Amino acid sequence: MEGLNIPLNHILLIASLLFVIGMLGLMIRRNIIFILMSLEVMLNSAALAFVAAGAHWGQPDGQIVFMLILSIAAAEVAVGLSLVLQVQRRFRSLDMDSLDWMRG
Amino acid sequence: MENQYANEIWPLAIYFGMVIMLVVTMLALSWVLGQKRREAATNDPFESGVVSVGGSQIRISVEFYLVAIFFVIFDLETLFIFAWAVAFFELGWAGYLSITVFIGVLVLALVYQCRSGALEWGNKTRTGLREDQLTTGEST
Amino acid sequence: MNGSQMQALMPILMLSLTAIVLMIQASIKRDEKATWIITVVGILLALWGAGYARDFSQPVTILLQVDNWGLFFTALVLLASLVTVVLSQDSFSSEGGSKEEYYLLLVLSALGAVILIQSSHMASLLLGMELMGVALYAMIAFPKKGLLPLEAAVKYLVLSGCASAILLFGFALLYAATGELSYKGIGEKAALAYISNPLLVMAGTAMVTAGIAFKLSLVPFHMWTPDVYQGAPTPVTGFLATVSKGAVFVALARIYMDAELHQYESLILALSVLAAFSMLIGNLLALLQEDIKRLLAYSSIAHFGYLLIVLIALTGSEMASEAVTFYLAAYILTTLGAFTVIARVSREDQQKSQISEFEGLFWRNKIQATALTIAMLSFAGIPLTAGFMAKFFVINVAIQGSHWFLLSALVIGSAIGIYYYLRIIFSMSKTSGNDIGFRDRSGDITALLLTVLILMLGSWPQPFIAFAGGL
Repeated sequence: MEGLNIPLNHILLIASLLFVIGMLGLMIRRNIIFILMSLEVMLNSAALAFVAAGAHWGQPDGQIVFMLILSIAAAEVAVGLSLVLQVQRRFRSLDMDSLDWMRG
Repeated sequence: MENQYANEIWPLAIYFGMVIMLVVTMLALSWVLGQKRREAATNDPFESGVVSVGGSQIRISVEFYLVAIFFVIFDLETLFIFAWAVAFFELGWAGYLSITVFIGVLVLALVYQCRSGALEWGNKTRTGLREDQLTTGEST
Repeated sequence: MNGSQMQALMPILMLSLTAIVLMIQASIKRDEKATWIITVVGILLALWGAGYARDFSQPVTILLQVDNWGLFFTALVLLASLVTVVLSQDSFSSEGGSKEEYYLLLVLSALGAVILIQSSHMASLLLGMELMGVALYAMIAFPKKGLLPLEAAVKYLVLSGCASAILLFGFALLYAATGELSYKGIGEKAALAYISNPLLVMAGTAMVTAGIAFKLSLVPFHMWTPDVYQGAPTPVTGFLATVSKGAVFVALARIYMDAELHQYESLILALSVLAAFSMLIGNLLALLQEDIKRLLAYSSIAHFGYLLIVLIALTGSEMASEAVTFYLAAYILTTLGAFTVIARVSREDQQKSQISEFEGLFWRNKIQATALTIAMLSFAGIPLTAGFMAKFFVINVAIQGSHWFLLSALVIGSAIGIYYYLRIIFSMSKTSGNDIGFRDRSGDITALLLTVLILMLGSWPQPFIAFAGGL
């Protein structure tokens, strides 16, 4: 193969790092918009791993799954952002901690 | 293995060091040689432009937000059309039929959007209420 | 794709068509009554399609596997959607007073569930699961009143999205290790890949398991369940508990069987731990609940623990696949019965799902009180109800596979369970001040039908067992 040949493991490592960053962001951040962004990072890290694995096996499947993940992430974010709008309107705050009306 | 990596990496390390040196030198030289001046308008963002008014955190109408969301979604749908276009000859009529159905559903979604007033500014026809009327009923 | 494959996809096609028709109808003229009728007709057509497709069972491309087993659960999911549609009719109001979109979302979510049930490939699993999930977020947040639905929707979105990401990453690792995306392919190559790259396969499998456990709300991935159950409008809670969880479990069972995962000791061990924790902690936490929807949330955690036993013992017993079918059918019917009554009693008032609200229900509406009683007895596994037969199957399977540890957890869990299920029945028989009777025809009929089904499965199960054995 010509061009830049990066070993699969390196990309998987990067993807795992991204995934962990996203996960940490999801757990630490309290602002809903940042939580959605972290979610996006997690999904995209999985997408990156798929593309890398697809390239490794020489199959187009990885890239197709990447497309599917992209569109799913978009749908999720669209619904998520509309929920954010509603939260801002009703709770007057985007802090995840203000959403704790239910306990038990 | 380790040695090989080290061999590959040392030009990179030298390059990195040189870049840092260059930047530090430039900044230091301009600080030493340059003239220093402190006047009223020096630190304004646009020294020679219009003075900015108001805060940066203004309220933006929700319609912008909606349009952005729709853009993201419809933008992604082109991805699938593009994938079909790349393999146009291989897919043949079956692919053509599939993409027709796909685009048909997209068009329907667009019609639905227009009809439910998602693309209108101000008045929302979905409920027949204006925006100010919408917000009064739900201060629960 | 040829004609016979199209015919095999009949339920999916019918649901898609319904969704499109609903969209057209909403853009021509908004009319909630018409939307409701179209939805019901569409789901009935899809039910017919599920029966029709039985003659054409086959793998449809690499993505979907249409077989009798999947079609049975398709029918079950459609039935649950139908009950949800009936319940949703006037149990909550939405912004602007009309909810055409709600029915559209419901149809889409059911479509996702059907795809998930019939999936045999990672891509269709992903699409089905997300279509089901994304539509559900919006359904949960649909009511106009109150802050709880919104809170529940945001929590569900974040945690479910997180679960999807974990699941996807797990599949990505498995793909990197094996180069396959279909369940069968992964199963065939996993053993070989495990020798050359154990870390990748282990991490991938663990993440897939965690992602699915999240969706099934097994302990320790159950944090979202009680809040979402409580906050969502009651019909949607019923939908989530039956359609969403049932479909995910069927998908899990399919992965498990197609990929032949029973040969991996460590995976079995992990599943056993999940099952035992779910049974014990789910039942224990249910004891503390004052809100009936939260109580049922914890109870569902425990029930999926019971179901996991069957999965673990899948190869040790020839009864196991019937046990999955029977247990899931009994669970779905019982849950639907319970949520039908809760939806009718509590309406849209979020405060009214407290157990104390059910005091004196026997004097207010006998049919619904009886239905809730039967549902609770069935959950507890009292003889003559579907739950008893289901639990009997699980215990039988566990004994055949000699899983004594899991069996003891099941017995302890069920014993705790009886206490809180009976508590609800007792509180219904108490008299209280406001015993004003209420009538409500659609609720009564639905509750009655479901009760009859539960009792039939429990007291005369032979035809169904024979049917399940033939699937």
